[in-house]
Amino acid sequence: MFKRILIANRGEIALRVIRACRELGVETVAVHSLADTNALHVKFADESVCIGPAPAKESYLHIPAIISAAEVTGAEAIHPGYGFLSENAEFAEMTERCGLKFIGPPSKIMRLMGGKISARKAMVEAGVPILPGTGLLETDDQAMTAVEEIGFPIIIKASAGGGGRGMKIVKDRERLLAQLEVARAEALAGFGSSDVYLERYVEAPRHIEVQVVADGKGGVAILGERECSIQRRHQKLVEEAPSAALDDNQREQLMAVCEKAMRAINYSNVGTLEFLYERGNFYFMEMNTRIQVEHTVTEMVTGLDLVREQIKLAAGEPLSPAFTGRFRPRGHAIECRVNAEDPIKFTPSPGRITALNLPGGFGVRVDTHIYEGYVVPPNYDSLLAKLIVHAEDRHSAIRRLRRALGEFVVEGIQTNLDFHRRLIDHPDFVAGRLDTHFLERFSTENAPAVA
Amino acid sequence: MRAKGKKPAPSAPLGIEARVDALAEILRRHELNEIEVEEGGVRIYVRRGGGDAALVHAAPMFHGAPGHAAPTPHAPAPTASGATPSLSSPSSSTDTGDGNVAYVTSPFVGTFYRSPSPDSAPFVDVGTRIKKGQVICIVEAMKLMNEIESEIEGSIVQILVENGQAVEYGEPLFKIKVG
Repeated sequence: MFKRILIANRGEIALRVIRACRELGVETVAVHSLADTNALHVKFADESVCIGPAPAKESYLHIPAIISAAEVTGAEAIHPGYGFLSENAEFAEMTERCGLKFIGPPSKIMRLMGGKISARKAMVEAGVPILPGTGLLETDDQAMTAVEEIGFPIIIKASAGGGGRGMKIVKDRERLLAQLEVARAEALAGFGSSDVYLERYVEAPRHIEVQVVADGKGGVAILGERECSIQRRHQKLVEEAPSAALDDNQREQLMAVCEKAMRAINYSNVGTLEFLYERGNFYFMEMNTRIQVEHTVTEMVTGLDLVREQIKLAAGEPLSPAFTGRFRPRGHAIECRVNAEDPIKFTPSPGRITALNLPGGFGVRVDTHIYEGYVVPPNYDSLLAKLIVHAEDRHSAIRRLRRALGEFVVEGIQTNLDFHRRLIDHPDFVAGRLDTHFLERFSTENAPAVA
Repeated sequence: MRAKGKKPAPSAPLGIEARVDALAEILRRHELNEIEVEEGGVRIYVRRGGGDAALVHAAPMFHGAPGHAAPTPHAPAPTASGATPSLSSPSSSTDTGDGNVAYVTSPFVGTFYRSPSPDSAPFVDVGTRIKKGQVICIVEAMKLMNEIESEIEGSIVQILVENGQAVEYGEPLFKIKVG
C-alpha cells in the first residue's frame, strides 16, 4: 500500500479521498489554489501545497505544478478525483513517467475509452449494443450515405467531447452539411480535434449507467446500475440506484454485457459504462474511466467503498474478496446534488455561508466540503453537497429524502434545495416515469410567475 | 507548504516575525481582514491593522541547468490519523505595520536553492543590494532549474526559506527593503 497520496482535486471529492486514505492509514497531500486556502480538504489533509492562483488552468489543471507538488512532498500516487485532470490520459502518462502511480486505469485504456469513436469500436467488438451510427466521418458524402440508413433525427458528436458538450441534433437532410461544418469547428475549438461522428438520435431515453470495478488480472465486479435521467443541459442533478425501469432479468442481462466488455478490454480500476435506454433496449454511449460524482448511491446499495478499492487496486492489490461477480442492489438509494445557484436562472451563487444545518439520522449521508463561514469561490463548479439517502425501497427512499431535504439549511447564498424539494414531489418522479427531458417539462410547469 | 500533526514542519522553523510579515503581505494582497495558519505546531493569527507593504511577484526564467542534486523530498511524516483541523478561534494575534518592505514570492511549486550549484556561492545574502532583473535564487520544478529574478531594487533584509526547502506557489522567499 502507498504511504502517501496526493489528491489533485478540491471540494467534496478531495475530502472523500482523504477519508478513504485515513481509513487505510495512508497519508494525504492536498493541493489547492489561492482561492481555496480555507477549503476543508486543505485543513483535513496531512499536508497541503498551494499550486497556483485561482483559475483552474493555472492550478488544478496545471500538470507541472501538481507533479512538482507530488515530488516535493514525497507522494507516491496521485488521485485525480473527477473532473479536472481525471480523464486526461496525458496527465496519467506523465504521472506514470515520473515514477508516480496514477489512481485510475492505465493511460492506454484511458485513451482507448476516452475517444468516443475508439470506445464505440471497442465496445462493438465486445458485443455491446450501440446506436446505429458511423465511425469517424471523413467526407460529407459519407455522412449523406449514412443518414440514408440511419434515418432522422441524428446527432453529430465530437469524438473528444463528453459531458454533453460538442453535440448537434439534426432533424432533416437540408441542415445536415451545414451543421456538420459547425460541429467540426466547435469540436476543434472545444476539444482540439475536429473528429466527429453521427448516430441515431433517441428522443426520450433514460440515462442508465453501470458501475464496474476490475483489477486487470481477471477480477471483474459489476456493481449494478444507476439511473441519472434527471439532468439539466447534461448535468446530472438526481441519481438513484437501482433504476425503476429495470426488472431483475434486464439488470442481469445488462450486467452480463458489461462484464464481457470489461474482460475484453482487460479494464482495471473503477469505471462507468453509460447507456441510453429506450423501450427495453440499451445503447452504449460512453465510458467514464474514473470515479463519478454519483458513485455514492452504488456504495449505499452495495455496502462497498469504491474509493478505497480504487486506491488498493492502484497499489497493485487484486480485487477485494467482497467485490466479486454481479451485484444485486440492497434497498434503494437516491442522491441530490445541492448546488450554489440561483433557483430561477440557475446561475452560480458564490459567497459566504452564514448559517448551515446538515441533515442526518438513519439512512442519510451527506458528502460535502462546506461549513458555516465558508466562502464558496466563484472559480469552480457550484456543487456544495451531495445528499444521499438509503432505504429499503424507492418509496421509502423518497420519503426519507423529503425528510432530509427539510432539515437541510444553507443561508447566505442561494441553493437549489427548494428545487429539489419540489422535484421529488412531482408525480412523474414519484412514479419513476423518467427520461432525460424530465427537467425541461418540470421547469416549464414550475416556471415562476414573472411580474 | 503546510504540514499538520504534531511533528515539526519540514524545514527549520521560520522566525515568527518573518512568518507574520509574510502573512500580513498575503492579507494585503488578497484584501482579507484576517488569516490564520498552523505550521509545525505553531498557530499564527494575523489581523489587518495598518501598514502598507508592497509585494513583488518574481518572474521566472526557464533554463535547464543541471548541477543540483535531486531534491530530497520533505517528509514531515505526520500520522495519517492526523490532528483535528481548527476552523475557528485564533490563539494569538499580531498587528503589523511595515513600511517600504516588499516580498519576492515563489512563482510555482518547487524546491528552493540559494546558489547555482551545490558548491558555489549563494546568489545573494542578507544585506546584498539587488537590482531589477538580477537572479536571486533558483526554484526547481519538474527537473528544471528556474532562475528567479527580482523585479525590484533594494536590499535583502531576510531570506525566508532554507536552501533545499520545498516551496509552494506564492510562498514568500525574500524580504526586501525597497529603494
